[in-house]
Amino acid sequence: MRLAPTRRAVLLALGASTLALAARAQGPVPQVSDAPAAEARDAARRVPFHGPHQAGITTPRPENGLVASFDVVATSIDDLERMLRLLTDRARFLTEGGPVPDLDPALPPADSGLLGPVIQPDNLTITVALGASLFENQPWLAGLKPARLQRMAQFPNDALDPDLCHGDLSIQICANHRDSTMHALRDIVKTLSEFLVLRWMVEGDVPPVVPDARGATPSARNFLGFRDGSANPDSNDAALMDRIVWTGGPHEPGWAQGGSYQAVRIIRNMVERWDRAPLAEQERIFGRRKMSGAPLDNPDGTEHHVPDYAADPEGRITRHDAHIRLANPRDVESQRHLMLRRPFNYSRGVLPNGQLDQGLLFISYQADLEAGFIAVQNRLNGEPLEEYIKPVGGGYFFALPGVRDDADYLGRALVDAARRT
Amino acid sequence: MIAPLLRSAALGLALAGPALAADPSLDLVGPLSDYKIFVAENTAQLVTDAEAFAAAIKAGDLDRAKALFAPTRTSYERVEPIAELFSDLDVSIDARADDYEKAEQDPGFTGFHRIEYGLWSEGTTKGLEGHADRLLADIRELDGRITALTFPPEVVVGGAAVLMEEVAATKISGEENRYSRTDLWDFDANFEGAEKIYTLFRPLIAEDEADFVAKVDGNFQAVKDVLAKYETPEGGFVSYEELSDTDRNILSAKVNTLAEDLATLRGKLGLG
Repeated sequence: MRLAPTRRAVLLALGASTLALAARAQGPVPQVSDAPAAEARDAARRVPFHGPHQAGITTPRPENGLVASFDVVATSIDDLERMLRLLTDRARFLTEGGPVPDLDPALPPADSGLLGPVIQPDNLTITVALGASLFENQPWLAGLKPARLQRMAQFPNDALDPDLCHGDLSIQICANHRDSTMHALRDIVKTLSEFLVLRWMVEGDVPPVVPDARGATPSARNFLGFRDGSANPDSNDAALMDRIVWTGGPHEPGWAQGGSYQAVRIIRNMVERWDRAPLAEQERIFGRRKMSGAPLDNPDGTEHHVPDYAADPEGRITRHDAHIRLANPRDVESQRHLMLRRPFNYSRGVLPNGQLDQGLLFISYQADLEAGFIAVQNRLNGEPLEEYIKPVGGGYFFALPGVRDDADYLGRALVDAARRT
Repeated sequence: MIAPLLRSAALGLALAGPALAADPSLDLVGPLSDYKIFVAENTAQLVTDAEAFAAAIKAGDLDRAKALFAPTRTSYERVEPIAELFSDLDVSIDARADDYEKAEQDPGFTGFHRIEYGLWSEGTTKGLEGHADRLLADIRELDGRITALTFPPEVVVGGAAVLMEEVAATKISGEENRYSRTDLWDFDANFEGAEKIYTLFRPLIAEDEADFVAKVDGNFQAVKDVLAKYETPEGGFVSYEELSDTDRNILSAKVNTLAEDLATLRGKLGLG
């Protein structure tokens, strides 16, 4: 648009004076090296550490998350108890926040200093889970392995990298900001060096989305550009979570009530190839519209509309091998196979073939690993999406029950049970 | 980074010189001179061993050269915190192919690992004669410079942790001696070097820091117990590839914990 010179000059002058006014009202004009401004209330947000279940499972997923997998060096139940108590102390402090101790400057400092002298809670959660190998390698844990815990087996489309798989213990760390997750990880690596040897670690994030007029945010997009999590069960429905997420019942050892099976999958996305696939094909592969997330039988609806597969028995609208139809056919049987997904997108540089190393750090929680993740993944085997994804790592773990109070510690029931046997 | 430190050390007697800690306790004098003797013994041994190693290469005796590679290195690895003060020689003697953009083919790649590459990967002593001469000359130069060096106390005491960092960074993964798989020899020598320093200064803190010394003593012992499983009857070590995952994890945890603890030794001795 061309403006008449006089009008343009007036507008420019107006704009400049408005800017100057705004600058005066808001304080100094930012300099190139100033840190991006964070919201004080975000940094102050705290997820309660104590409770019947660990945080970081049904609590809202913040922007940043990582999973670190460790081998455990412990030769006795006393070692295991010392490790779990120390881990609990660190998790309790880091998630609560507070001043970092001042030490003699002749000594190494108490922490990395990434968060300055006072740790802000920043919605930090630290979720600790145990792998099958821990129970299998320690005679003093024999007979105490959770009923469904097992070593992750290869699925047909997997190309597992041994350096990215399994582990005795996983720690999922989530927070609003990446410096908080990294600070927590470095604190744990430093303070637990006697017990924990890092095997692999993958960091990811979810893009923040501007809320709509009602204050609701849609599901975040994965690196294939689709909304991910539309069909997740309601994590605020405690009764539903008791059924889908939390372990309980006589088939599990007594110590393992109130935990959850954690399935972690590092799923590479072939993004260059995906970006060259026709849009309609992408949508048929997922069974959703790409922009809105609406199911294909309700293309003008929202991602939360439930597809009516009964009305489409021949798969004319939503193919039988579409990702969302295979994963959740929305029948009575599929109610048995629900899980709670809590993934992050990861990006790790460039592969030797010159393609971007991007994908999904898939994390799901379920009360029954076999009925949940394993059953669903077995249904997905052979899906057309496999041409564009390649799982390369991950593992199965059992997230410990929660820490009740200051006197309690992660895994106390397991340690007590091991001492009794 | 290293040059100013050396200059300050060379300017005067470290133990009395004003450039160093204001008043290093006289208690440090004994351990420091004992450590200097330890280093001198090792560099003298290194010269002797390097002469035999170079001679084997130049005689074209592949088997003998391979047999001498790991034992020759151990004297260097024991005193690495001092040896690497001379960064020009450390690069020339002990750099790895990863340190060069063209890796093994890089003309700047010299020293122990270039020779190791020739002996194991190329399977011949041919073409290594020049590298052998250079290594021996560098080692003689190192011996001469160390003899003239006044040992900075903070470098000596900090050396215990430096050796653990060495193990944690390149030895635990088997990257260091990747062609010969003799990493456990280096491993053992690094631990010996660290334990020597710790043992010399231990009496100065044993009373006030009973928990600390008990923990460090225990971790050194745990390392020795694991390494002992891999010793050969001849006093050497089996291939790194025979190290089990379980034992590697134990060593890794102990090394990192020793690194954490030994990093506080300087501060505990008032050598910030």
